[in-house]
Amino acid sequence: MLKVLLVLWPSFVVAGIAEGVFFTVVDPQELYLFGEPVHYSKLATYSIGFLGFWLACAASSLMTWFLQLGPAEINRRRDDTG
Amino acid sequence: MSSAPKSSPVEFTPRFVEESLYEVHKKVHPRAVSGIFATWRWALVWITQLIFYGLCWLPWNGRQAVLFDLVERKFYIFGLIFWPQDVFFLAVLLIISAYSLFLFTAVGGRLWCGYACPQTVYTEIFTWIEQKIEGERNARIKLDAAPMSARKFMLRAAKYGSWTLLSLWTGFTFVGYFTPIKTLWVATWSFSLGPWETFWMFFYGAFTYLFAGHMREQVCKHMCPYARFQGVMFDPDTLTITYDTERGEPRGARKKGVDPKDIAKGDCVDCGICVQVCPTGIDIRDGLQYECIGCAACIDACDQVMEKMSYPKGLIRYSTEHAIEAHWGWKEILGHIVRPRVIIYTVILGAICLAFVWGIATKPSLRVDVIRDRATLAREVEGGLVENVYRLHVINVSETSHRYSISVTGLPGIDIAGERILEVPAAAAKSISVQVRVPPESGRKGSNPIYFDVKSLADDRVAVHEKASFLQP
Repeated sequence: MLKVLLVLWPSFVVAGIAEGVFFTVVDPQELYLFGEPVHYSKLATYSIGFLGFWLACAASSLMTWFLQLGPAEINRRRDDTG
Repeated sequence: MSSAPKSSPVEFTPRFVEESLYEVHKKVHPRAVSGIFATWRWALVWITQLIFYGLCWLPWNGRQAVLFDLVERKFYIFGLIFWPQDVFFLAVLLIISAYSLFLFTAVGGRLWCGYACPQTVYTEIFTWIEQKIEGERNARIKLDAAPMSARKFMLRAAKYGSWTLLSLWTGFTFVGYFTPIKTLWVATWSFSLGPWETFWMFFYGAFTYLFAGHMREQVCKHMCPYARFQGVMFDPDTLTITYDTERGEPRGARKKGVDPKDIAKGDCVDCGICVQVCPTGIDIRDGLQYECIGCAACIDACDQVMEKMSYPKGLIRYSTEHAIEAHWGWKEILGHIVRPRVIIYTVILGAICLAFVWGIATKPSLRVDVIRDRATLAREVEGGLVENVYRLHVINVSETSHRYSISVTGLPGIDIAGERILEVPAAAAKSISVQVRVPPESGRKGSNPIYFDVKSLADDRVAVHEKASFLQP
């Protein structure tokens, strides 16, 4: 549970900041998606933007969590995990 | 050999016995507490929540007083309208918040956490509901341990149901700051909410439920960055919740009215109530810990016990490291509030606040962006005049509609051909194409500075003087 938090929570915070900065500078209607202007409503663009940021940040957090595992946790046999 | 032992013959002994970074979470059942600090916390619960749940319903000049209109990209806060260009103010506001936090923490420890943080406030409300439905601490512990029964099911359903309703209302209110709440209200009951509004309502509601109902102190312990770095803002003169070890120890039970000196004990009767009331489940008698959110529940609880025992109050109290060491009274403690760190924070905070207020007060009510038409740099038009075309993006930041006159100066014989009056409604932006013409002999070859003047016809003070360049071929 706490490991899930460690991945999802910091990414949520950073995604919030990224969302704020990004959409302050960029008007969603100036965005292009696969060469076509974005035709979603602004609220949808903001929301998808936020969830996208969150996903990207969570991927980064997940990798950080994975790389910081100690040797004992990596060497641990399966039946020790309990 | 068929009965070979199931376990492998060589016992695996890990070289590092890695313990989990976190201890196994034990559910904290905080005991209800009353007293001066609990009253303060409830006062702040009321103030912050009246603002949060109420402010979005307040009308102002025919619109919602506080509305962060993401679709129109405009933030309305009473008479002020903020555009994306005003993001600077948001940055300054964040700096002010950070410095306030530094200042309050240096002086009084985790005052924010203990009294005003939404996590504390909602946990307080949710715990109150829990206590009203399931009873006091002991009843709740018993109920937790009891097997499922009709009574337990009813109590749980009532608790989770009330939490859900409150969470949904909180989610609705939150979205009401981004979409006009009255429209949202109507849309909710006619089942015509937009998909994203619905999503965010449930998202925020679910997180309120999860954080305040189930996670509680774990948010402070494992998720809050401030809890981790608060320590650097503390110094030996910072007021923190402190157990007076010298006075309290050795602790021990005794009968009411017994003088501690007679039994060679300290004032602490070891009743454990300070631990029972703690929302993070720590024992303040072990000293200052990072889990302590500074809610002072243990102070209120201990004071009541001291009163019953006829001992002086304040065995647990707001005090400082220096004060405990040197047995200072309030006079010396208050005297040490004024110290270099606090003075520096105050001066910086004061300066930024002044600059912020000044910036808001002098925020221009008209903005003009001049953009050169890139398609044609310069061309000759009828009468041998040279023409440059500009696009003026006129933003009316005020709350009233304005008619603006546009004029241009800077070169002999310079003038505008065509429209020179532009009407822009309140809080709106309009673009106008402006053809500026000069005689061919005017100015020198190349770029010449010219100036656009955009002025409100109704109010001379609403004016912008904007530089541009005129290309003479």
